[in-house]
Amino acid sequence: MRITTTRFGRIDVDGSDIITFHSGLPGLEGCREWALLADSSNDALGWLQCTTRGDVALAVVSPRRFVPDYSVRIPRSELTPLAIDDLHQAQVVVVVGRTGKKLTLNLKAPIVINLEARTGRQVVASGDLPLQFVLCSEQPPLKKSA
Amino acid sequence: MLVLSRQRDESIMIGDNIVITIVDIRGDKVRLGINAPAEIPVHRQEVYEAIQRENLRASRLAPSDTQGIGRMANRGTSNGQPTPPPAGRGIEPR
Repeated sequence: MRITTTRFGRIDVDGSDIITFHSGLPGLEGCREWALLADSSNDALGWLQCTTRGDVALAVVSPRRFVPDYSVRIPRSELTPLAIDDLHQAQVVVVVGRTGKKLTLNLKAPIVINLEARTGRQVVASGDLPLQFVLCSEQPPLKKSA
Repeated sequence: MLVLSRQRDESIMIGDNIVITIVDIRGDKVRLGINAPAEIPVHRQEVYEAIQRENLRASRLAPSDTQGIGRMANRGTSNGQPTPPPAGRGIEPR
């Protein structure tokens, strides 16, 4: 399947690489089919690209790489639709956002993917977790391009 | 809006497979029990709306915004956690 995207141009996606979110995502309810792409310029990052809307993509990361003590508790009822019993059977990623110039991670609503069944769901984790966890950078701010 | 009066331990049925029960009432706080099929997501409205807003904002992120995110990873303490997606193909953002 060839899809035209605003970020990555035209890309070919194997049908078997498509992940179905049966409920869509909050705010993006119409986006049910997504392709999980690696970012070749950044191995910490992946992109969930909506296959039906070229302008919609979410940057995702593995939360533990950024927040080592992130432990996510998800009500079992949230996992049932994915046909998994616990998170070890799944890939958990979180969505990268931005507040001002700072990058943030949505730790409250991780995305859980059943890689075998190629289904996914954004779930609401239990407990007091931030929707916008600010990533600290020891690096100087990014250079602005003119 | 349909408005119904209920007492503790009484329920409301929505369709034939969603049951909402008044579990407890204390002051201005009501505890509800919700029985719904697994495929029907149930959320606190303010949390759901906050996630909606966050997703919409995040969906406008450009690849150039994410430069440098690799440097923010706690590589030393990651427990050998694999990089995020065992994804399809590498893409070269244009």
